[in-house]
Amino acid sequence: MKAFSALIHREFIEHRGAFLLGPLLLVAIVVGMTVLAFTVGRVDVRMTGSIVTGLSTMLFWPALVLCVAWGLYLLAVLFFYCADGFAADKRNNSMLFWKSMPVSDFTMLLAKLIAAVTVLPGAVYAIALLSMALMLGTAQIAMIVNGTSAVTNFLDLGAIFWNVGLIALVQLVVSLLWYMPFMALVGAMAVMVGRWAIPLSLLLPSLVATLEWVTLGGLHPFQTRTWDYVSYRSTMPEAGLVDQWIADGPLGVDVHSGVPYALDLIGRLDWLQVGIGVVFALCVLFLASEYRRRAAAN
Amino acid sequence: MTDTTLHSEPVVTARGLKKRFGGKEILHGLDFDIPAGRIYGLVGHNGAGKTTTLNAMLGLTSYEGTIRVLGEDPFARRAKLMENVAFISDVASLPRFLRVRELFALLSNIHPNFSVDKARDFLSGTDIRPEMKIKTLSKGMMAQLHLAVVMAIDAKLLVLDEPTLGLDITYRKRFYRRLLEDYMTEERTLIITTHQVDEIEFMLSDIMFIRDGDLILHMQMETVNEKFAQLVSNEPETQEAARALGPVYEETRFGQTVFVFDGVARDRLEPLGKVSTPTLSDLFVALMQRPTANPETAR
Repeated sequence: MKAFSALIHREFIEHRGAFLLGPLLLVAIVVGMTVLAFTVGRVDVRMTGSIVTGLSTMLFWPALVLCVAWGLYLLAVLFFYCADGFAADKRNNSMLFWKSMPVSDFTMLLAKLIAAVTVLPGAVYAIALLSMALMLGTAQIAMIVNGTSAVTNFLDLGAIFWNVGLIALVQLVVSLLWYMPFMALVGAMAVMVGRWAIPLSLLLPSLVATLEWVTLGGLHPFQTRTWDYVSYRSTMPEAGLVDQWIADGPLGVDVHSGVPYALDLIGRLDWLQVGIGVVFALCVLFLASEYRRRAAAN
Repeated sequence: MTDTTLHSEPVVTARGLKKRFGGKEILHGLDFDIPAGRIYGLVGHNGAGKTTTLNAMLGLTSYEGTIRVLGEDPFARRAKLMENVAFISDVASLPRFLRVRELFALLSNIHPNFSVDKARDFLSGTDIRPEMKIKTLSKGMMAQLHLAVVMAIDAKLLVLDEPTLGLDITYRKRFYRRLLEDYMTEERTLIITTHQVDEIEFMLSDIMFIRDGDLILHMQMETVNEKFAQLVSNEPETQEAARALGPVYEETRFGQTVFVFDGVARDRLEPLGKVSTPTLSDLFVALMQRPTANPETAR
């Protein structure tokens, strides 16, 4: 277990640029620009503070959008991590070094996948929380500066932070579980074909659907069982509360939606498919590890 | 030509070891045993099959035949085997994104027989510092670091495949000196391949020559010294007499003719010229001539 944790740590060190340092830099730039905007009078502290004092709950949506933005960033970097990181040992010419360690190829690849669903997205989640805290903190400071800060505002902002943080966390965990087989498939393909896994992983579902259409018939490749299944499995799971939030509008939303959202989302998830996905992920990783075991390391 | 005396369980045993790439057979059924506590030199031309043989021993490639390293099938049990085997196949294979201290910290958790203190100790006389990024190290420093890593692993078998490739003479000498002085014990076995055979000759206990996928010489160094003789002859008459004794190799250098003999008593050669023991590089040149290029050489 110690060795496995070390391998996950290795992944974090190798890819911390994309998952930690890059996002931190982005946050630092945004904070810098915000400070500059207030400093040069581009944003009026008195007006901003007044708006937030009266309508602090309206910050629920910006906080949520901020987390969604970080989620999209994570989606992109995780895809590239799987397509690139699983083949990184070969590309970096360090395959022989890692093969001199008492760790099997399957363990190596499993550590990469586990890193992809734990510490790497965890780092981005931490940055998302930090950026949300900075955004809400800026609003609080604006209220303090214009003298309208009240305990209720502070509690509202705290509630937004906690609830949106919980919503983002549960959404993140559920999405990672849901998409794990895709990540494993892209990673396994990367072991075999390197960065070509990026276009191939996009092409593969179409090829399989076309194969089904050719062999079993159908109106066209995009009306086959394969395509329907891929479409279903590639749709991000979400709770029904989102529709209600949209209907309620930015001012009517209940900021204490974190727990209901989490319970609703967990209840809606197709856990059988999650289980099938985990088994599929382990199978493709095993096949990839057998390929890696046999492929020339130098 | 095999003369290996076995007193204990061999560290490596190979029987009928074959390897094919595509349709081409690279190793043609090698049979050998490597006992514990020896320093083996594995020598051959580029493409002769040295690295393939080492890769088979290290579980890095599949093969036909049987090979056991420390009693294990290396291809089936590589991860387990690596607890007691350390190797350098390419000094540039260290993960370049790490700092030296990060590498040591990771290895202390990944490898049960790795000692951070030993690794730091091996680096103490060098310019390498814990905070340095591996990608900023020079080639020589990278080799020093890699050697420190493998020497800090308490392994029974150490395999070095061209460990000093591309290094200057100072680094090479320092590398081998540290290896011999700080690492080798009676319990450890070292297998090393290099093209600079003269530089490792002093430390070898045994030698293996591979030519075109066949093992053509496998012998203790003491036996090599007894079995092979080099004769330098200047006179045409003595040269004819030498040829009559069946040299395995003949070459004319700067007006002198050099013969290498296999199994000819030295007292028969001494009247014909100056007799000495051939260096490994001389023996390499003598025995490794390909039949197509030099049909009269030994095989």
